[in-house]
Amino acid sequence: MTINKQSQGGKLSIALEGRLDTTTAPLLEAELKQSLDGVTELEFDFAGLEYISSAGLRVLLSAQKIMNRQGSMVIRNVNQIIMEVFEITGFVDILTIT
Amino acid sequence: MMRQHRWRIRLKPKLILGLVLMSVVLTTILTMAIAHMYRTRMEDYYSQVAFDQASIAAQIIDGDRISDYYTTGEKDAYYEEVREYLLMVKQIVGLKYFYVVVPEDEVMVYIWDAGEPGEEGVCDLGDSDAYYGGGDELMHAAFAADADQVILITNNEEYGYLASAYVAILDSSGQPAALASVDVSMDMIDEQIQDFVGLALLITCGVLLLVVVLYYFYIRRILTRPLGVLHQAAQGLVEHQMDDLGQFTLDIHTGDEIEDLADAFQYMTRELDEYIRNLAHVTSEKERIGAELHVATQIQADMLPRIFPPFPERGEFNIYATMTPAKEVGGDFYDFFLVDQDHLAVVIADVSGKGVPAALFMVIAKTLIKNHAQAGQEPAQVFETVNNQLCSNNEAGMFVTAFLGVLEISTGRFTYVNAGHNPPLAALGGQEYDWLPVRSGFVLAGMENIRYRQQEILFQPGDSLLLYTDGVTEALNPAQELYSDQRLKDFLNSGVLTGQPLEEQLRLLHGDIERFAGGAEQADDITMLLLQINETTGGRDHGRTDD
Repeated sequence: MTINKQSQGGKLSIALEGRLDTTTAPLLEAELKQSLDGVTELEFDFAGLEYISSAGLRVLLSAQKIMNRQGSMVIRNVNQIIMEVFEITGFVDILTIT
Repeated sequence: MMRQHRWRIRLKPKLILGLVLMSVVLTTILTMAIAHMYRTRMEDYYSQVAFDQASIAAQIIDGDRISDYYTTGEKDAYYEEVREYLLMVKQIVGLKYFYVVVPEDEVMVYIWDAGEPGEEGVCDLGDSDAYYGGGDELMHAAFAADADQVILITNNEEYGYLASAYVAILDSSGQPAALASVDVSMDMIDEQIQDFVGLALLITCGVLLLVVVLYYFYIRRILTRPLGVLHQAAQGLVEHQMDDLGQFTLDIHTGDEIEDLADAFQYMTRELDEYIRNLAHVTSEKERIGAELHVATQIQADMLPRIFPPFPERGEFNIYATMTPAKEVGGDFYDFFLVDQDHLAVVIADVSGKGVPAALFMVIAKTLIKNHAQAGQEPAQVFETVNNQLCSNNEAGMFVTAFLGVLEISTGRFTYVNAGHNPPLAALGGQEYDWLPVRSGFVLAGMENIRYRQQEILFQPGDSLLLYTDGVTEALNPAQELYSDQRLKDFLNSGVLTGQPLEEQLRLLHGDIERFAGGAEQADDITMLLLQINETTGGRDHGRTDD
């Protein structure tokens, strides 16, 4: 998985490519841990993301929880497979997917 | 020890043999060169002596008288005078032969030949003799008024090693009358060279012997003994000093590369010691963790109901379940239990992540769900309560996807709730397996105060329900393809499972997943629960019986 990060003031954009699973989720978690301070607007671009596992969902959930306190979080360009996962797991109800 | 011995008789002789060979070659070349130079110099010297004496004689002797002696053969006073002079010079200077001859075509004719009276081989006036050893041409060449210096060097059995000089005696008209000839014996040159070579050999051998002995001890001190120490240290290291490598020292102080080698060896050994200690430490730590993980796996396995059939007296339904963890301990679990005599609860869940943290969270989740379900709460209520309880102490941000269903055994009424879990597959009313219509609620422990809504369905005898986790549908093959929902559904409907006991059905399904994975490592826990309804007794009846 590759993580492309773009920061502009209080806005942070993260584009993910590949698989967000048990192996790669800790990478994203570490990345978020050091980048989220002072961010008020977090945007994920999932155009290149092929797969998400429960470990990946956990990272998204914790990011959502942090952003609930300090701003907003949106996820863009979610493909069909990942959208199904979000639907099955009920994540559609707590995430902002556009 | 054998190896050490063989090695010892190999290195020293090599070096000593090299030394001996070098000495032999050096001595041979030096001796030959000196002998050759000496011989050349000595030949020149004796040739000069011979030539000088011949020249003096040629100057002194009156050439005009010679033709008389030659033709008449008669001696006179002058003849005797000259003979005595020649004899004197021969004796004083130490010439071998001193004679005057007239060279004819085939022979030479003696005029004088210096010698003691009665001496063997001395020729008299008028005697003739054959030329020898190339003397023919040389003597004729010297028999001229302005001849070059003529020297003949011969070495033969009869006369020995000779330097011969020929100088023409001229008469008053300047014509050559005879040849003054001197032969100097050079036999002592050979003798001297022999003596010299003998001495050189003696000195060489003596010095070589001494040097070899000294060299032997020198090699032993600077090379073989230190190498032997190294050798024994290396062998001893492996045999009996492995426990005490940190104290390893090598007593080698040669001040050269061997000492460098010994230092390097010592350094390596101490580093090795540290490495081994670290490795032993890490290994024992790993073994400890491994052992604990094994126990954890056992505890986790023991937490899941594993005795089948679990309710042998209940013929209304059959149930079978398996859990195959990916790592030592997994985050998946299944559960089933009788809430009361008429209600069977079935649970399947998947904790995010894997390993020990997931397993610990799983224990909490499983316990909470069972506690609340057994208290007789409705499924949706169970999940709402459990969700809030899990959220309240969840610093790690873990969550659980779970499915809970409660079967009213007497009626077949099945009430279920889903918290973000894969929808189960059900075969209803003799139809093929298809996904149960499921309203997806949010995962457990994700966020507080989530509302879950339960659904209902009525099972009939012969209906089956398969609960599974995403370890089934997301099993990967080496080409990174998913087993997929569709493949699972197709396999269930393929007819392979028809009429098989539940245990066999799950075994066949597991086999199909493994065949698909084709040896690829199992990435996620694989958990499956199969429920089959045999009969519905009717609520009133059943309730009464149970009470």
